[in-house]
Amino acid sequence: MQDTTKANLLAAWRQRRRNLAHGWYKYSRNPLSVLGLVILVLVVFVAIFAPYIAPYPGHAKAYTNFRDASQAPSAQHFFGTDRIGRDIFSRTLFGYRFSLMIGAVVLGLGVAPGVVLGLIAGYRRGTWVEVVIMRVTDVFLAVPPLVLALAITAMLTPNLINQMMAIALVWWPWYSRLVFSLASSLRNEYFVKEAELTGASQRHILFREILPNCFAPIMTKMTLDMGLVILIESTLSFVGLGVQPPKPALGTMVAEGAKRLPAEWWSTIFPALAIVIVILAFNLIGDGLRDVFAVEDV
Amino acid sequence: MTEPILEARGLTKFFPTKRGTVRAVDDIDFRMSPGDTLGLVGESGSGKTTTAQCVVGIYAPTTGDILFHGRSIGATAAKRSKELKREIRIVFQDPGSSLNPKRTIKQILATPLAVHHLASGREQLARISALLERVELPPAEYLYKHPQSIGGGEKQMVAIARALATDPSFVVLDEPTSALDVSVQAKIINLLLGLQKEMGLTYLFITHDMSLMRNAASRVAIMYLGKLSEIADTAEFFQRPLHPYTKMLLSSIPVVSDEEESLKPAKGISRGEIPSPVNVPPGCSFHSRCPSRLDVCDKIDPATVEIAPGHVVRCHLYPGPQGKAS
Amino acid sequence: MPNPSSLLEIRDLHVGFRIFEGHLRVLTGVALVVNEGERVGLVGETGCGKTTTVKSVLRVLPIPPAIVTRGEILYRGRDVLRMHRHALHVLRREELTAIFQDPLQSLNPVFTVGSQLRDIVRDSMRTPEGRALSRREIEARCIQALEETGMPDPERIMSNYPIQLSGGMRQRVCIAEALSTTARLLLADEPTTNLDVTIQDQILRKLDRLVDQKGSSVLMITHSMGVVRDLTQRIYIMYAGSIVETGPTRQLLASPKHPYTQGLMASVPRLTGRGVSEGIPGRIPNYLEPPPGCRFHPRCPHRMPECSVEAPPMFDVGADQRAACYLYRRSPS
Repeated sequence: MQDTTKANLLAAWRQRRRNLAHGWYKYSRNPLSVLGLVILVLVVFVAIFAPYIAPYPGHAKAYTNFRDASQAPSAQHFFGTDRIGRDIFSRTLFGYRFSLMIGAVVLGLGVAPGVVLGLIAGYRRGTWVEVVIMRVTDVFLAVPPLVLALAITAMLTPNLINQMMAIALVWWPWYSRLVFSLASSLRNEYFVKEAELTGASQRHILFREILPNCFAPIMTKMTLDMGLVILIESTLSFVGLGVQPPKPALGTMVAEGAKRLPAEWWSTIFPALAIVIVILAFNLIGDGLRDVFAVEDV
Repeated sequence: MTEPILEARGLTKFFPTKRGTVRAVDDIDFRMSPGDTLGLVGESGSGKTTTAQCVVGIYAPTTGDILFHGRSIGATAAKRSKELKREIRIVFQDPGSSLNPKRTIKQILATPLAVHHLASGREQLARISALLERVELPPAEYLYKHPQSIGGGEKQMVAIARALATDPSFVVLDEPTSALDVSVQAKIINLLLGLQKEMGLTYLFITHDMSLMRNAASRVAIMYLGKLSEIADTAEFFQRPLHPYTKMLLSSIPVVSDEEESLKPAKGISRGEIPSPVNVPPGCSFHSRCPSRLDVCDKIDPATVEIAPGHVVRCHLYPGPQGKAS
Repeated sequence: MPNPSSLLEIRDLHVGFRIFEGHLRVLTGVALVVNEGERVGLVGETGCGKTTTVKSVLRVLPIPPAIVTRGEILYRGRDVLRMHRHALHVLRREELTAIFQDPLQSLNPVFTVGSQLRDIVRDSMRTPEGRALSRREIEARCIQALEETGMPDPERIMSNYPIQLSGGMRQRVCIAEALSTTARLLLADEPTTNLDVTIQDQILRKLDRLVDQKGSSVLMITHSMGVVRDLTQRIYIMYAGSIVETGPTRQLLASPKHPYTQGLMASVPRLTGRGVSEGIPGRIPNYLEPPPGCRFHPRCPHRMPECSVEAPPMFDVGADQRAACYLYRRSPS
């Protein structure tokens, strides 16, 4: 009996490895997807090791040096310095920390409730449960996301926590709707009927039967959404409702630099490019994931 | 007949739709003894699948009842007892959609065991392995596979293993081999018949394949547009088919030898299209296509008559001992 | 040298697919012939390669991942695989026609039956004198084509959309379309598999008569032995990418020689009620690593040492019947 257990575990591990290898194969067919992954790895690496890579880590905190202010890009300052003398390159690297963290937290906060509500509403389609959940979802969706986030942040004090909560509140309905449509068609599948006939609990049916079939669209959407969350965060910071100075949020940096275009172009362009690059990376990865999950027929 | 294990009494299931009422199952009666295999045969719109779904609890009857060991079970699965859900199981037609593609076979087979608290942990794994062995799938190879990496026949064997996981007494087989190749079908039918003997199972076998029923069923029932037109023990059924629809079905079977050809009642007598169950023709619903049609056929629905012991037919050609259909 | 009376001749066709895990060697040397006016069946189970073969003839294989590594498909002497675009287009329009398993996929859902049928009739038919048909003539011809397939109430059907019709009626429309062209060769890929058995019976009988009338040749692909028995004169049995047996239909079915065919025939449930056979042990081979030699040998009750060395050629087994099996090695064909 021990031997068969070991054999079984080995078989399981082998199978899982095979599935992953297959997934990577499909993903790597498109060089752009691989590029996206490479960029993201670099961005994450840079964000994690920012204190060690940045030439002037202290500039990410309160720091002023008017003597070096407004300098064009040079060997000492790759991206130049801003109006109060802080090295833009270093601040950009630290700025990535905020962007990635905000993306992760918002999605972490917003996706889970959205998915759960969507599952319940989809499975109970045609009942009052669905009506209540989906109408609330509709209300949230009716307001443009940016406006809603702005409104919420404006009502509360502008800081990092509130900014993240605001965006999370904006985000969950999209997942609710996505999973609702998936769940309401999946509940007619025979394997769900079989689980019902066996007498499985609703929790089992929602999370063990239906949800695994929703992972692919959810993951793809999450990857694409990361870029969007970062963009919204940048916009909030841009209008002053997000991360407050002296914290180096990319959006804030773009806002400060925008006032002095086109003369001191470096203080806007570089942070903006940093935003573009990370969003691009997530989009490419999202496309790649779509290829991986696409059902193929040979 | 010994105490029937399953009995349908006036079983009726209608579906109201915008286009009209779909009379899927219309007042049918049948009985099954333990150990029987009742072949329920019909074409599209016959109601055979809906009947199976009522027996297993996907639908509750509109009127009429289903009795299991004498007790009424006409309700959806949600309202049925756990014990009943263990006793009556189903194998679906399309193995591709009856197995969750995102779960491994081990997980799929573990579910009924877990739901009914039959085994857990190591013992669960042992039971799952035993189930796989019983359907001749080596556990080491199949436990951690996903349904999409195995063939249709193997998927169906997993579905059968799943149905048997709770040690049921009654299994509904909804066209279990219609989507499979004939060599795979043979293997699965053999497996099913062997398991039936071994475990003392009763089968309600839904199909459209009459040649298969000739070899796998102990009794055969034909349905047309929601009603039963003829029931008989298998041998009697094929030797003495009475209903015109039965004869039409038999004459349409594509056979592979001259010997079988000579067993068919006639050749090329099928005609007409099957009406939609929303627009069931009045009187005997088969009258629009019947070559032996009488005047009364489009006015009065025939009564069910027992022509010989166990051989029941519903047709004006066989009005019964009273001399006139009641 | 192409056979002069052959309409379609597939020679030594090898087709593979490149996928993640490697190279699927699917078709290995398929050879088949359809002569003028002949009805030929191609029988095999799922995954044997019969659909790949048909797609190769129509040249609708997705290349890549498919790749034709060897072989020729000669239609009246010209190689379809090497034809230029234009010639291929003409071939598909004027010489070949097809009926597929799912008529909902073959019929355009947004056009009425009449509009689709009229298009075909207008393009393909001419009066005996050679001029194009008038509107009234086209209409009459369409109604007649539908009637000939046994369609009830053809005038009304002309203005229906495909989804308004039953499966049987849709397939009748497809048959009417297929037989209203000038095509000499009809490729029928499981045309009645999805239909009820009484409808299938009617449609096959009509198809039989219409094909007879028109003098077309037919290549019928199916997994049903019963269907080929009634409709074809010669059949090819296919297994794992190659032809394993061929011969006159009734003769072959009554007396199959190749072990696979024998296993297959034994698996078919019989109306005589002699019980269910055990099927054929094993599974179809993995095309990535197919067994060496004869691809059936791992499942064969008669296997011999030479079977795993090299795939057997076709041997004569009497009266125009040939089987690719070393059991019959005495008389090479």
